[in-house]
Amino acid sequence: MSRKVIEIAGRRLALSNLEKDLYPSWGFTKAHVLDYYRRIAAFMLPHLKDRALTLKRYPDGVGKAFFFVKRCPDYHPVWAKTAEVRRGSSKMMTVCLANNLETLLWVENLASLELHVPLSRTGSPETPDAMVFDLDPGEQATILDCAIVALILRILLTRLRLASYPKTSGQKGLHVYVPLNYREATFEDTKIFSKTVAVIMQKNYPDLVTAKMAKEQRTGKVFINWSQNDASKTMICVYSLRAREKPFVSFPLEWKELERLVRQGKPESLQVMYSEAVSRVEESGDLFRQVLIKKQKLPHL
Amino acid sequence: MWSGTVSFSLVAIPVRLVKAVKPGHITFRTLHRTDYSPLARRMYCPKHEQIVPPDEIVRGYEIVPDRYLPITDEELESVSPERSRTIEIIEFIDMDEVDPIYYDHPYYLVPLKGGEKAYRLLAEVMRRTNRAGLAKFVMVEREYLVAVISTEGALAMITLHYSEEVLPDDGIAPKEEKMDAKELSLMEQSIRNMTADFDPGKYANNRRESVMELVKLKMKEHAPVEAPAVEEEAGVGPPDLVAALEEIMRDVKKSR
Repeated sequence: MSRKVIEIAGRRLALSNLEKDLYPSWGFTKAHVLDYYRRIAAFMLPHLKDRALTLKRYPDGVGKAFFFVKRCPDYHPVWAKTAEVRRGSSKMMTVCLANNLETLLWVENLASLELHVPLSRTGSPETPDAMVFDLDPGEQATILDCAIVALILRILLTRLRLASYPKTSGQKGLHVYVPLNYREATFEDTKIFSKTVAVIMQKNYPDLVTAKMAKEQRTGKVFINWSQNDASKTMICVYSLRAREKPFVSFPLEWKELERLVRQGKPESLQVMYSEAVSRVEESGDLFRQVLIKKQKLPHL
Repeated sequence: MWSGTVSFSLVAIPVRLVKAVKPGHITFRTLHRTDYSPLARRMYCPKHEQIVPPDEIVRGYEIVPDRYLPITDEELESVSPERSRTIEIIEFIDMDEVDPIYYDHPYYLVPLKGGEKAYRLLAEVMRRTNRAGLAKFVMVEREYLVAVISTEGALAMITLHYSEEVLPDDGIAPKEEKMDAKELSLMEQSIRNMTADFDPGKYANNRRESVMELVKLKMKEHAPVEAPAVEEEAGVGPPDLVAALEEIMRDVKKSR
């Protein structure tokens, strides 16, 4: 078993099992995973900052048993930042905050291929700083259908003077984020707003869209999952790897690019692999940066 | 449901399986008292205090309390027997020797085209000899021990419990004591007086009948309650937002 001690910002971190093949069909080892997160960190960390981190750990790699870890493990390094968050009505829980590179690499050493975060920060857990439309294709629908829905959604939002930003889920869907970043935002508002949009979309495009959770109603359609706009829910963090056969990433796209990809009609071209993710951010920076800073208010509420 | 062949030595009879019993009890839906919405069961994680979606549910074998070995579907499948197409009778037994405690679930075997003659023949001979065929057979990933029996010209199949599933009756019978001859003959007499042929038709499922009675009565007196449509009506949401969205939608559709 390989072990390696690294030092970041004067903090020592022991990395283990580096040769462990976490994406067996791709020969993508834990060393590769750590390297990916190290290289993407500068772009990803602002999106993780101060958010209660949910780890989806795959100690034996994709396709094997995984664990959701919400509570920060007791054995976390002393220097890893944590926060206390309310869980349910009364109990409190300690969560990890991946606020710096060393903490990010520490959780990756636990084979946390996927990092999920809530739409709010631990300092103001009831204040979403973005509204999200989680577009999830039902059976027989593809990411292309999601992209078509996303493009219609964009027109709607633009007409309401709301800028929106799409990213791939890294699985089969797309996520459209509407930055809010104002103090009075509530999940109650984002939920009712997104639900209304979803229902109207379903009404106007019944063959393409459903706003209903029920699996059997989703066949051939895109489910607009508005219920993600909730303090208790988490979304896959932008730039996180996904635990699929290939090391795909949840990656931000430009609307123009999405339009072009829809015209091309190749679903697989909408997926971004780790290698492409790194080269693209290095070239064009963080396309999701506006999600963190743009201030917008939901109208007509 | 399953179809295949019943076979032994050189005989192969094509059949399909149908259920021989249906549960007689009346089932109720559970409803939310406030508006009679039908309720659904969900898997709840007390630790995370949330409902767990199916794709986050895995199986765990409990080694000791709170220590589990996760077992995947693939792993289970790898040890599941192959689906079998035959009910291969291994031996013929005297049905009287089978303790009814072993009986699990009954099915009928329906002859398929071309199998009628052999089917009738087997049913008749088994009836005459009071024999049952003991067979092993795989249905829905589980291997069953089954008895093929003859009932009034038809073949039926009863899945049997494996012997390790049947709990021992040790210590249930009271200790042996000498019995009084007079008491014995008195008991025999009482039983003889009450002896009849088995006629299950005489006995109705009273509970079922009285519940159905109640349902019929209530139907006359009350209109049934209606579950609210789960359908999300347009118009849900703030009216201003709905109006704005509808207007944009009209424009979008016009331009597309």
